[in-house]
Amino acid sequence: MRVIAKLDVKPPYVVKPVHFEGLRKIGEPAELARQYYEQGADEIFYVDIVASLYRREILFDEIRRASADIFVPFAVGGGIRSLDDISRMFHSGADKVTLNTHAVQQEPDLIDRAARTFGSQAIVINVEAKRWDGWWECYTDCGRERSGKDVMPWIREAEQRGAGEILVQSVDCDGRRAGFDIELISQVKNSVSVPVVAASGAGSLGDIVAMARKARPDAVAVSSVLHYGLCSIQDIKNALKDGE
Amino acid sequence: MSRTIGVVDYGSTGNIESIRKALVAAGAQVRIIDNACNLSGADKLVLPGVGSFAEAMRQVRERGMFDPLISAAESTPVLGICLGMQMLARVGYEFGETPGFGLIDGEVRPVICKAAIPHIGFKQVRTIGDSPLFRGLASDAEFYFMHSYEFVNYTDVSGLTIHGEHQFVSAVAKNHLFGVQFHPEKSRDAGIRLLKNFVEL
Repeated sequence: MRVIAKLDVKPPYVVKPVHFEGLRKIGEPAELARQYYEQGADEIFYVDIVASLYRREILFDEIRRASADIFVPFAVGGGIRSLDDISRMFHSGADKVTLNTHAVQQEPDLIDRAARTFGSQAIVINVEAKRWDGWWECYTDCGRERSGKDVMPWIREAEQRGAGEILVQSVDCDGRRAGFDIELISQVKNSVSVPVVAASGAGSLGDIVAMARKARPDAVAVSSVLHYGLCSIQDIKNALKDGE
Repeated sequence: MSRTIGVVDYGSTGNIESIRKALVAAGAQVRIIDNACNLSGADKLVLPGVGSFAEAMRQVRERGMFDPLISAAESTPVLGICLGMQMLARVGYEFGETPGFGLIDGEVRPVICKAAIPHIGFKQVRTIGDSPLFRGLASDAEFYFMHSYEFVNYTDVSGLTIHGEHQFVSAVAKNHLFGVQFHPEKSRDAGIRLLKNFVEL
């Protein structure tokens, strides 16, 4: 299983939101990306968590700096609204992109066009799921805005439109370090045939192994456990291997 | 040694910056080539790899690089990466049927297997024959894959990889033309070593 280091960025810092709010400053993107790369991360996800919220331009120079020394895939998201944005990302060091707010709230068709131009393998759908009674709702703008869209039909639609991967985040569990929403991840995994990246909630190696065993995602993305030095990428890889 | 590597920029597709950085790390001087006139200035060419087959071929033609690239490939070593490898084929079936450069015989078809598609992650390559690209690399070296289509080829296979229960061609080589389905620019030290082998050919 791939182990991905996810950097939530509020330029110029990597931050860690709790429940997608209450930001805490962690460090500089380039430094942390390099550190997790050296620990053995299979990929780095860089998500500008305020670009959509503030409706501001994507900061391409920040992406270029953060990805400079990284020779594993570097996925970038936050604030993407057009094919031109995506193309500029590829020219700034990105290898794939994550889409959420714009595709969910305004133009689902952006997924089709992006897949046709850049190939499905480069298009990751970032889901910020909020649990309600018996269903999950897609949130956007870093867990601030409701969309009314049900997560499971949405990801099936996104897959139909050409998305190549689904990143599942939980608005309820993110940053709490109290375990994953395993049911959410399982249902997502069972709903699509593209790879699923599980995120939000890891507080220990045990949380990660338990989630991996039950939900069987294709990858796990972690942030807090790395930021707070609770374990390293290598620890996670070893634990996952032992847990199989 | 001829170390000036031309990286072909089709337009909106391709992870150009990642390729450029990795080639520099492998000791190359890099020139980005976005029109036919600049092709002659490079000792070797790299066709990069993020995009869909139909769109990348359309952009190559739009920039007037289709025939000039084929001519250049007669004498210039070429390394195709991922989609860039697939573009060497005769035909591709991503978003319709589109002719490729036809430099290495074969066709590009969807990967069909039970495991998750796109195929994403680090995998080993079983090398076939003695491709100079893999010299000095450990047999258990892993490379990063990220693709939904594969190069179906029966004549110029230099590497094979398994995804789930499905084996596919992960490297091709024919004279001075090379293609790899994985991304050496995203494969840590092993990838840089492979690029270095190409740069130093």
